[in-house]
Amino acid sequence: MHINLKEEVKQNNFAKFGIVLLLLMLVIALFAPLLAPYQPNSQTPFAFEPPSSNHWLGTNHVGKDILSQLIYGARTSLLVGFSAALLATILSAIIGTSAALIAGLYDKIIMRIVDAFIIIPAIVIIILVAAYVKPSLWVLILLLSLLGWQGGARIIRAQALSLKEMGHISAAQSFGASNVYLTFRHILPDLAPILSVEFIYGIRRAIFMEAGLAFLGIADPTTVSWGMMMREALDFCYLDVWQWWLLPPGIALSLTILSVTFIGHTLEGALDPRLESEAIA
Amino acid sequence: MFSIRNLALYLIAMLIILALNFLLPRMMPGDPLMAIYGEEALVQMTPELKAELVERFALDQPWWQQFAAYLSTLFTGDLGYSYYYNAPVLEVILGRLPWTLLLVGTALIISTLLGIVLGIESGWRRSSQRDKSLLTGLMALSGFPDFFVGILLLIGFGITLGIFPLSGAITPYSGFTGAALALDILHHLFLPLTALTLCHIGGSYLLTRNTMVTVLKKPYMLVARAKGLSEFVMRYRHAGRNALLPVITRAGIQLGRMVTGVLFIEIVFAYPGLGHLVYEALLARDYPVLQGVLLIVAFSVLIADFLVDVSYSKLDPRIRYAH
Repeated sequence: MHINLKEEVKQNNFAKFGIVLLLLMLVIALFAPLLAPYQPNSQTPFAFEPPSSNHWLGTNHVGKDILSQLIYGARTSLLVGFSAALLATILSAIIGTSAALIAGLYDKIIMRIVDAFIIIPAIVIIILVAAYVKPSLWVLILLLSLLGWQGGARIIRAQALSLKEMGHISAAQSFGASNVYLTFRHILPDLAPILSVEFIYGIRRAIFMEAGLAFLGIADPTTVSWGMMMREALDFCYLDVWQWWLLPPGIALSLTILSVTFIGHTLEGALDPRLESEAIA
Repeated sequence: MFSIRNLALYLIAMLIILALNFLLPRMMPGDPLMAIYGEEALVQMTPELKAELVERFALDQPWWQQFAAYLSTLFTGDLGYSYYYNAPVLEVILGRLPWTLLLVGTALIISTLLGIVLGIESGWRRSSQRDKSLLTGLMALSGFPDFFVGILLLIGFGITLGIFPLSGAITPYSGFTGAALALDILHHLFLPLTALTLCHIGGSYLLTRNTMVTVLKKPYMLVARAKGLSEFVMRYRHAGRNALLPVITRAGIQLGRMVTGVLFIEIVFAYPGLGHLVYEALLARDYPVLQGVLLIVAFSVLIADFLVDVSYSKLDPRIRYAH
């Protein structure tokens, strides 16, 4: 389990590309108020403006500046992605390791719940809930993380089970180490690579879901989001406005997801030497 | 091997869905009938109808009797009535199902076959130029959100070139029959089908490629080479065939998830399948239809996974002998 991720990333062009791209998106998201020329929701009297020096990407059907919406969209996307993935990864780490260490009935019940939730497609539950309660951004993040920890918990439990059998763990146990001590001192550090893969794929899933739900019109309409922009633009795609309205959010979303995919694939390859026996770069 | 434990699992999953379907509308503040039936029903609401509906859902009874009433109507195949479409929910769903089946079925077959062939070619000569470009290309493709792939095709071929229709599954009021009708359907199918196929190739390709890595190390590959078999026979008859199983399993699981998988593509192309029905129901707040489709979706997911589970040992004798 001891893998030098830094070296793996250095040798892999996919990963370098992914990291640079994701960092760029992060910078845009963090400094959105400085970068965006207008407030994303402030309306001007001029709708359907083509690109000009005032509005680099023109304005939309209600006269909002598209470039500003695009920049603030990065915020929504990454905020949802990172928070939902972080929550889900923490949940899966806690639940997975506790199931492995406590074992017995607790383990059985947890694993049945995990299995049941893995079968049900998360989007069905989210659409059902969202149809009744229009979720705010934070409710959405909570929903996504509550539906996103199960797969990770199963993998982490399996890994923790095999770690549990190792010599240094039983040695610590024989010295009277508690489960909590074992988890934080010995198990979680060894699980770090797996947790990082879970985290990365969690980001990807959450960003994808957020965009999709906004595209469906389920998400909070006051939050600017790439998915929402694409849905609005799609209604007017027969006008000649898609070049600067529909394409930019789509490209931004695709690039973000692509960067996360590349990073995830590299980490996964590093964890599974079978796939990496001949380096792909 | 299939067991009672697995069956229990599917029952638990089904129960979670049923409980959500049952609880959500009833937990909403305000009139539960409004939450169960949506705004459209209120327009047509008469005291008699209201009394009938209260009776039907046992809304004046304790919650467990309400749940029992809910389950018993479901078991008779009654998914409720849509006041938006003015038809029973089951009828609305069945009317849309063929389009989704046509679109997803074709896309699944094409993308799985293409994915397998590309995966075998790629896995056979790993790290070759061809492998690298295929891997990069298909990984990039799988990174694209499906609705954006759809939108790009729509803009490119539908709007700019204008050679494919922008929406729908047939030309309305065209009066086409026979071959003309089939051509019209294919014409409408082409863009959503291409979008869906492109989005699905990546998965089966990566899976085949990764399985090939393990298969190629097996002793029987060495034997095949020693026998002096041709490259092609080794690649497809020996390696490829043994790398098939996970991909076929995946296709089975995907079939169960077809409505969620095709949801966005159907919306982009306004293709009148079940995915678009979900969208319409969301916009119209037509809760009976929404609940009905989602219930069918969950049910088909469970059935497909269950069948894959059961047939797995039949597809791969190694699993049967291992037990």
